[in-house]
Amino acid sequence: MNIDEIAYSLKNLKNRKMRSWLTVLSILIGVMAIFAIVSFGLGIKNYTETLAQEAGVDKLFIQARSLGAPGTDDTFFISKKDIDFVEKINGVKTISGMYMRPVQLEFRDEEKWNYFMGLDIDKIDFILESFTVEITEGRQLDDGELGKVTLGYNYQFENKIFERAVRIGDKVAVGETELEVVGFYDQVGNAQDDGNIYVSKKQYELMYPGSKDKYGYVMLQAEEGIDPDELSEKIEDKLRKFKDQEEGQEDFYVQTFADAIEIFNSVFNILLGMLALIALVSMLVASVNIMNTMYTAVLERKKEIGIMKAIGARNNDILFVFIFESGVLGMVGGIIGVIAGYAVSTTGGAIAAAAGYSMLKPIFPVYLTLLSIAFAFFTGAIAGVLPAMQAAKQNPVDALRENE
Amino acid sequence: MLTDLFSFSVQNLTRRRLRSYLTMIGIFIGIAAVVGLIGLGDGLRMAITSQFSFLGTDTLSVQAEGLSLAGPPGSAVSRPLSEDLAEKIGDVDGVEAAINRYIKTGTLEFNDQLVYGFAMSVPSGEDRKVMEKMLNIEALQGRLLEDGDGRKVLLGNSFSEDDTFGRAVEAGDRVKLNDIKYEVVGILEKKGNFLIDGAVLVNEEPLLDDFGDDGTVDIIGVKVEDEDDIPKIKGDIEKLLRKERDVKEGEEDFSVESPQQALEQLDSILFAIQLFITIIAGISLLVGGIGITNTMYTAVLERTKEIGILKSVGARNSAVFQLFFFESGLLGMVGGLVGVLIGAGLAYGLAAAGRALLDIELLQAHITPMLVIGALAFSFGIGLISGVTPAWQASRKNPVDALRYSV
Repeated sequence: MNIDEIAYSLKNLKNRKMRSWLTVLSILIGVMAIFAIVSFGLGIKNYTETLAQEAGVDKLFIQARSLGAPGTDDTFFISKKDIDFVEKINGVKTISGMYMRPVQLEFRDEEKWNYFMGLDIDKIDFILESFTVEITEGRQLDDGELGKVTLGYNYQFENKIFERAVRIGDKVAVGETELEVVGFYDQVGNAQDDGNIYVSKKQYELMYPGSKDKYGYVMLQAEEGIDPDELSEKIEDKLRKFKDQEEGQEDFYVQTFADAIEIFNSVFNILLGMLALIALVSMLVASVNIMNTMYTAVLERKKEIGIMKAIGARNNDILFVFIFESGVLGMVGGIIGVIAGYAVSTTGGAIAAAAGYSMLKPIFPVYLTLLSIAFAFFTGAIAGVLPAMQAAKQNPVDALRENE
Repeated sequence: MLTDLFSFSVQNLTRRRLRSYLTMIGIFIGIAAVVGLIGLGDGLRMAITSQFSFLGTDTLSVQAEGLSLAGPPGSAVSRPLSEDLAEKIGDVDGVEAAINRYIKTGTLEFNDQLVYGFAMSVPSGEDRKVMEKMLNIEALQGRLLEDGDGRKVLLGNSFSEDDTFGRAVEAGDRVKLNDIKYEVVGILEKKGNFLIDGAVLVNEEPLLDDFGDDGTVDIIGVKVEDEDDIPKIKGDIEKLLRKERDVKEGEEDFSVESPQQALEQLDSILFAIQLFITIIAGISLLVGGIGITNTMYTAVLERTKEIGILKSVGARNSAVFQLFFFESGLLGMVGGLVGVLIGAGLAYGLAAAGRALLDIELLQAHITPMLVIGALAFSFGIGLISGVTPAWQASRKNPVDALRYSV
């Protein structure tokens, strides 16, 4: 292989411009789709990993078994007694139960469904660390403060949750209870959490006296040097005995944050993997197109191949020329496909962010770009193998005599 | 004319056999993927919606509005329905019966094994018969519930299979609901859907006594006398509830729905997912179409001289156009034909493999004649569209230049 051969390949591609472009178009569509899907997948992975790091690996949670969405069913719950018991288990540093239920929040004659949470304000630092959010506007609630509420990020904007933006000092209502807004949280990145409504535990108990000391969700932190996985097993074991339940039939789950995030990640990756697999079908079709184009090229240049052989080109040279030509077709498709894919996922990410899901943010590591282009090149080169072998095998005398 | 066109096209396609085959392979891969996925998706959708089809056409259900899909009816609502509403709805013209339904979550224990689930209430008196008819239930073992049955429970058929508790539950056995002893009065006939086969039915009074009564109703089931009156009755009930709950039109915090409407909602969500996946698979069809365009451009180029001859013996532009246009469509359709066959095989094969390996009965494939015809028409269409520009180019060639052309 040498420069001459490469130059020859490129010249030939240019000579049959129309056909080359159509072939490139077919492969670029496939690369674009796969690039876009994978960039979203990597973005999600990046988001959840950051989340896990910031929340810390020492966090665990206990969740009551529920047959619907969290907070909608109070048949099963973690009681105050259970929490006091778990708090005494060796290795538990902080523990805090959280009230939550979906409610309809009213603001200026508009009503929207969102999650309503009652928090332990004296343990707020720990809770906020777990959720990796802080107050960015206004102030935090005081312990046991009544009549006041803090809201998720999205309330500060028009048309995100309510038609009008909510400001500090505004009044919102849950049922008959009016609450004054004192602060807003930073962005979490998904529409559900960014629409959360937070009050002190005392306020929550006042509004829902029947739910007092019944928690659906309990967060806890392991002491330094304690393995959270071991602690999780220990808590499960002890709490099961404390609640007098049998193994496998508990009405609660204990999980570490890391596990929960991993489960979310793997479910998401399976879904994206399936989508990528379906998109891969179009690469397969594109490679058939390349093969077709190359067979035509071999046929058209039969005489040329004869001449090349007659003046001393070896079979290998011919083989290389055609495979390289085919690979270049793929690579050009790959390069344009990456650019198009970048445009598609950036647009998609912007649409998702506008809809409140800024966690769906694609990322474009350099290796993804390089791998995509390399993948396109090799798809092209492999598709070119059979036609190139046919070209290389030709008998020079017959090839020269060929007259279409 | 058409037969001439057809034989001419076939002749030309077989003349450059390898290229035609490759082009068709491109189309058939795409069609196979699309047909396979739609077939699987349709089957899955049908299997899911058929789970609910036992609900009759002469019923309506009333629910307070809440977080949709958050759980069982009545679980995430801001203003629950009050217990006196059923009686008022029962007085609406054309309503045969309106029944308060309570759905409670809890545990069911048998043979030292515990499962979590829902228990549903059965009303007493005349309403009981109406509900039994609405759900279309019969006892396979034992009997249905009767008035005055205290802590007695009627179970769906799936509890009579071994896998729930390791041992089949039979009529007369004792189980525990939320740790309280109940006697199994009967087992229902198998219906093939999880709502009835997994049902735990208890008379209203013991259910409310043991599971707690907060004075609110989860769902009100309404049976109408004549199903043709459903739209009118629905409007009347909505009017009544607006008055009772003091809300204005357009701001209702409740819904009155027929089971069909609820089903349509579920189906439209499933359909949206299916559509998205199909579009991604459809990208490969676009790529296949580009392959056809490419092949046809090459064909036009190769046959430039032929086109010149055709024109010099009197062929009109439109005839030349038709020739290439039809050939292109044929490429698409033959590819589509093979693709439909492979796609159908793929769908049924994957569904069967999925059922065997994952043991999910809902994995079904369903290839409708519409899908087959649609896919064939679509692939023919792709072929035609892909052939427009090459055929146009062929038809516009100057006969003198074309005759002089040599490859």
